[in-house]
Parts: sequence; structure tokens; C-alpha cells
Amino acid sequence: MSKDINNIESTSGISRRTLLGQMAVGASWLAMGSAMGWASVVQAAPGSNPGKYKIDLGGYNGPELTSEPITLRFMRQDFAPSVNAVFDNAYAEFRKAYPNITIEEEKVPYGDLQKKVQVYVASGEGPDIMMGRNDFATAYAAGQFAVPLNQYFSQEFIDDIVDSLRNSGSVGGDLLCLPWETNPVFMYFNRDIFESAGIETPPEVSDITQGWTWDQFNDALDRLTKALRAKGDTTSWALAASTYGNGGPGSNYAQLESIWIRSMGDPNADKASSLYKTFAGVSEDGLTASGYLDTPEAVQGMKNYQFLFANGITPKGAGSQFREGIAGMMVGSINEANYMTSEDRASTPYANTPPFKFGTTPLPRGAMAFSAIIADAPFVYAGSPHVAEAAALLAFICNDANRLAFHKEWGSMPGRKSLLALDPRYSSDQSYQLAAAVAATAYAPPQTVGWFDYFNAVNPAVSDIALGADPQKRLTNAAQQVDGLLAKYK
Amino acid sequence: MLLPALAGLVLFQFAPIVVGLLNSLQSFNPFTHRASGWVGLNNFVEVLAEPSFHWAVLITMVYVVLILAITIPLALGLATLLNSRRPGTTFVRAAVLGALAASEAVTALVWNQMYDASTGLLNALLVTLHLPAQPFLIDANHAVVSIVVMTVWKDVGLAMLMFLAGLQSVPGSVYEAAALDGASTWKVFQRITLPLLRPSVILVMFIATVGATRLVTPILILTQGGPGGSTTNMALYSYNQAFSFNSPGHAAASVVCMMLLLVALTGGQALLLRRRGGK
Repeated sequence: MSKDINNIESTSGISRRTLLGQMAVGASWLAMGSAMGWASVVQAAPGSNPGKYKIDLGGYNGPELTSEPITLRFMRQDFAPSVNAVFDNAYAEFRKAYPNITIEEEKVPYGDLQKKVQVYVASGEGPDIMMGRNDFATAYAAGQFAVPLNQYFSQEFIDDIVDSLRNSGSVGGDLLCLPWETNPVFMYFNRDIFESAGIETPPEVSDITQGWTWDQFNDALDRLTKALRAKGDTTSWALAASTYGNGGPGSNYAQLESIWIRSMGDPNADKASSLYKTFAGVSEDGLTASGYLDTPEAVQGMKNYQFLFANGITPKGAGSQFREGIAGMMVGSINEANYMTSEDRASTPYANTPPFKFGTTPLPRGAMAFSAIIADAPFVYAGSPHVAEAAALLAFICNDANRLAFHKEWGSMPGRKSLLALDPRYSSDQSYQLAAAVAATAYAPPQTVGWFDYFNAVNPAVSDIALGADPQKRLTNAAQQVDGLLAKYK
Repeated sequence: MLLPALAGLVLFQFAPIVVGLLNSLQSFNPFTHRASGWVGLNNFVEVLAEPSFHWAVLITMVYVVLILAITIPLALGLATLLNSRRPGTTFVRAAVLGALAASEAVTALVWNQMYDASTGLLNALLVTLHLPAQPFLIDANHAVVSIVVMTVWKDVGLAMLMFLAGLQSVPGSVYEAAALDGASTWKVFQRITLPLLRPSVILVMFIATVGATRLVTPILILTQGGPGGSTTNMALYSYNQAFSFNSPGHAAASVVCMMLLLVALTGGQALLLRRRGGK
């Protein structure tokens, strides 16, 4: 049974069933209290809500969960078995405390997640929790299919989320999805390849404004390519192919290729200026891309991008050249450092690659140092018949213990300040400091309710430019296409 | 006996067509994809005004023509070869049917690797032979041909089987009589084999046309419709409208257009072949 999501009140009170559930739980606690003493009940409820719930439900502060038998469905991406095991262990613990709640998972290939969300929302029968992304928060708000989590999570917990992440997942003060990790983007380089080619390595700094400029970046990688080829090395690349999305050029404008364009703009410039429009990517009302996506600065950004492909610096297809030890640089997030320094390297993507010396450097900069903040961010489906329980399960998965276990296996950067503080590397190691600096200063994607349409139209344009299309014509064409697509949101 | 089959037909064939027709006449909430009102033929007007849709129609026709032009002679040649029961035909049969049995998505992924401009097998072979490497999937013209080649390689087995069945139903006495009359191999093929295979040819043309029109998996995997939308056919256009651009009404309208095109194509083929058969 599902609710009509249009009829769901944004501030759901305690339902009759929840009230009955609370009474039942209260009665059982009274019985337990008389049998075991209250102290033992409190001890059995560790975490940030000690004594309030049967287990540590993290930031959850909603009503006690139902005692009726229910099933919660969670759709997320599939991970490696060791990461999936973290979820399985968490569910087992949850089930021990709430045996009446069954958890069913649906694992979907990462690239299909957002389309699957759309299909489920259209069907009105979506899973109680779905894996979303912070860059779609505006659409979640406009479509009213994500429950504002402020109703079920403590303000303290919400304030603990890294500011840029929290802001990108919020609309009008409502946190609509929970960015549970972050993948700040910066650059890795293979020191061995640079040194053997006699090319200077990029600045290893954590200040994002002190990296190479685009001109320095293109020049160094061009020289590296020529040095490799001069030695007869035809298999190595100066820059690895994108490993975002489906890989290769035009793989993920949201997270990667927008860097080339939006870094040419300036958020502090006059709003009528081309510099500001280049950064914004879309008009103030979020409905026009022409004049924003195809500014002279944006075109120059795409010319810089095209240079890499036209000069054989990076492959025109997909691949994982850096992880194979045959690329001088790659764009990546902190996972890579965690993989390369892992004690259990055999379980990482570097399992078959002999260790090499690596370094990290900020993304190249144009008029500004730009990075996009994109994070997987589960949301509670407004059509769920068990909104409170779904929020509680999400909070449980996001409690400190479960998040730390997840980050340990998956290697991503925590999305909460208190968890970051627990890892000394984020205050002592340059790569981790760089990741934290990027996360703290990264920007949300262009603000439009039609962001899904926007990036689906721009990704092929970026790919075409990589393969040789005229940047000016193709960007103008893409901007016009986006204008047409956004018209339906007026 | 017929009721379950009829129920299946209504549920999985007719009902989706009716739903598609109804959807093509409605507008939709782009966030929830739920119908929000009747708009008459507005979706058709908007889709038909789109230059990218015009291109999709054209490229659909290109796929149909190329796939038919390559599949039918190739399948007929393979079927004739297998029917002759020469040494090695068992291997050929296994190879062709193996490709047919393989998953379309897996096949496309394998070909995607082979077509890779930098690291693919095909360019490695060309370079080894001192021939220039080809931009198989990154040049518009190459990409269309690359998709067609992969599709034909994958699907030629079905057409071959149909022709083989047709060939084996031709009585041996007809060929013996022709041999006694001193007919050449080409004359036998032209005057006996081909006319007697007309029912198979009609069937293969129909199936290949339908398959070529609704081709989508190889395009999605090999080029995602690029470069520059050059490989996007009507099926992929509809898919993009529905799943990439939040426009279920436009998607339904373009699917209805595709259906009409398919009816026109297969109807035209049937008419043409019947007339020729009548002569």
C-alpha cells in the first residue's frame, strides 16, 4: 500500500499506528524495566541517543518505531562484497533490536540509480529509502517526493554535516537528502612517471588556490606525453581517462567536466558579467542556459579540455590507466589514496599494479579554483507508508559506528565534521588536508530544477567536443537544447 | 486453450500500445512522471518540430536499409553454404549460432572494447598491418557503420536459420531436373532457389526491419547516441525523452511515430513482395 505523495503533509505528526506502536514499546520497556532494572535498559542503548531507543539510532529523534511487523525497502548501489557486508552487519544488529522490522535491499548498478529513482517515483511504489544525490535536491523539493529530514533528525546531527554538503542537499532550510559521504575531487600524479620523463611534478599543497593553472597543466602534460612517446612508450598516458560515470570523455559533467567550464568563471563577479554567468551555468530562475553555458569563458574552458584529446594526452575512450600504473595523472577523490596505502592492497583496484610513488595536487584553476560537491545522498521517500521507521533506519546506518565501518571499507571521505575529526590524517597528511579543503570550498551544480535534463544534455556535448566538435558551436547547441528542455518547468 | 494466450497478448501487446497512445496525448509532471492533463496532438507537434527528431527518423531509416542490405545476402550465402554440407560447415553453423545466442548487451560490451580507438583489438590489427587506425566509434559515419556491423554479426544467425529451413524444404527433384536441363549454378539460384525462398525472404525482411527499427542496446553501449547525436535513432530518442529528459509525453509521441513508420515500412515491403510474387 502506498500513499499519494501529493497528499502527504510536509509535517507529519504521530500517526495512530505509531502511537499504538509507541504504547506497545512503552509497555514492553516497563516490563523490561521491572524485570531488569532501568539501568540495564539504558546500558543496552548506547550511542548519541542513549536510553531513548533500543539501539543507537544516530541522529534520529523521531517517534519510537512501530512494533507491528513491517518491511522497509532500501534501494542503493551495489558495492564490493566487503562493503556490502558492512550493510548486512548493520541490518543484523537492527533486526536484533527490532525483530518486527524486515529490511529488503535492492542493489542497482551505480549508473542506473537516478533513472531507477525516477521510475519508482512515477510508479508511486518506491522503496522507503532510495539512494539519491545531493545535486538533485532541488528536483526532490519541486517534486515533493523526499521527506524533509529535519523532522526526524536532530539539529545537532544536521549541523554536523560538512557545510557545503548540507547546503547542497537542502532547499529552503529543509534537508531533503542525507549526503553520507563526500568525494572531493583533486588530482593524483604518478611520481615515477614524471621523474623518469624529467618533467617537474605539480605543487603538492593543500591550498586549492596554489595548484597549476590550466595553461601550466596543459603544457606540462603535453611535454610529458612527448617525453613518453620519445622514449618509445606508446601505452602510457599523461592523463588517465575519466573513471566517473561510464568513463571516458563526457562521463559526468556534474562532478568532473564542469570543472573545465565553471573554473573559468567567478562567483564574486558582477551578476551581469560573463564571468559570473560562466560560474552560475544557468540563469537566476534556473530556466535558461543560453548565455551561461556558452560564454566566451566557457568556450575557452572547453578548448582547454579539447586540447587534451587533440594532442593525445588522454585517451578518447574509457579505462583505468592510473590504477594500472600507466598514467601520469588522474582526477580522483580520497578513495585512491586509501586504496594505494591500504594494508590490504589486494582487495583494492590496485591489486595487480606494482606499487608506485604518488602525490596529490589541487585541480588546475582558471579565474578561480573550482570543484563541484557531489555526494551520494539517500532520501526517505514521501510515499513510504513507514516514514518514521525509514528515517530511523537511515539514521542507524549513518550512526558513527556504521559510518566509520563503511568509510574504512569503501575508502571515501566522511560527510560529517565529527567523523573527520576522528581521523588524524585530515589534519596532518597533505592529501587528506587537500581533500578536506576541497570539500569545504566546493560548489553545488548550477541551480535549476531541471538539473537532470541539464547534465544529460551537456554530457554528450562535452564528449563531442573531446572528439573534435567545435566548442563554440557545440556549447551553443547544448545551451539551446537545455533551454528547450527547461521550458517544461516554467 | 486460446484464452491464456489471448490474455497474454492483450496484457503485454495491446495494452501497452493503448497506454502509449493515451500517453502521447497527455502532458506529464516532469518530476513524478504522472499525467497532468490532455493536450491533444501537442506532443506530436512539438516532437515533429524538433530537428533532432528529424535526424532520428533519418538515421532509423539508414539502420534499416544498411542492416537489410547486409543481413539478407550474408544470411542467404551462409545458409547456402551450410545447406551444401561441405567440410567445416558444422564449425560455421556453431559460430554463427553462438553469436545469436549471446546476450546483446554482453556482445555490445565486447565490441565496444574491440572498437576502442586507443586500445581496441581492431585498430591494433590495422596498425600491425601498417594500415591507418580508424575512429570506429568517434566519427559520425564510422559510428553508424560500426553499430550496423556489430548488429549484423550478432543477428545474422536468425536470418540464416530461416533461409536454411527454406532451402531444406525445396524438393531435391527440382534441382535434379534443372541439372538434367544443363542449368548453370547461377541460373538455378536465380530461377529456382530464390523464387522458392520468397516466403523466407518476406519473413526475414519483416523481422530484420522490426529489429533494425527498434535497435537500442548496441547504440546505448557503443556510442550513447553520439557523436553529436549522429547515431541516435527513434528508439533511443524516445528512451532519452522518457529517462534523460523527463518528458514521457514526448517519448510516447515519438514511439507512436516509430510504430507508424514500422507499419508503413513492413506494409510497403509486403505489398512490394506480393506484387512481384504475383508477376
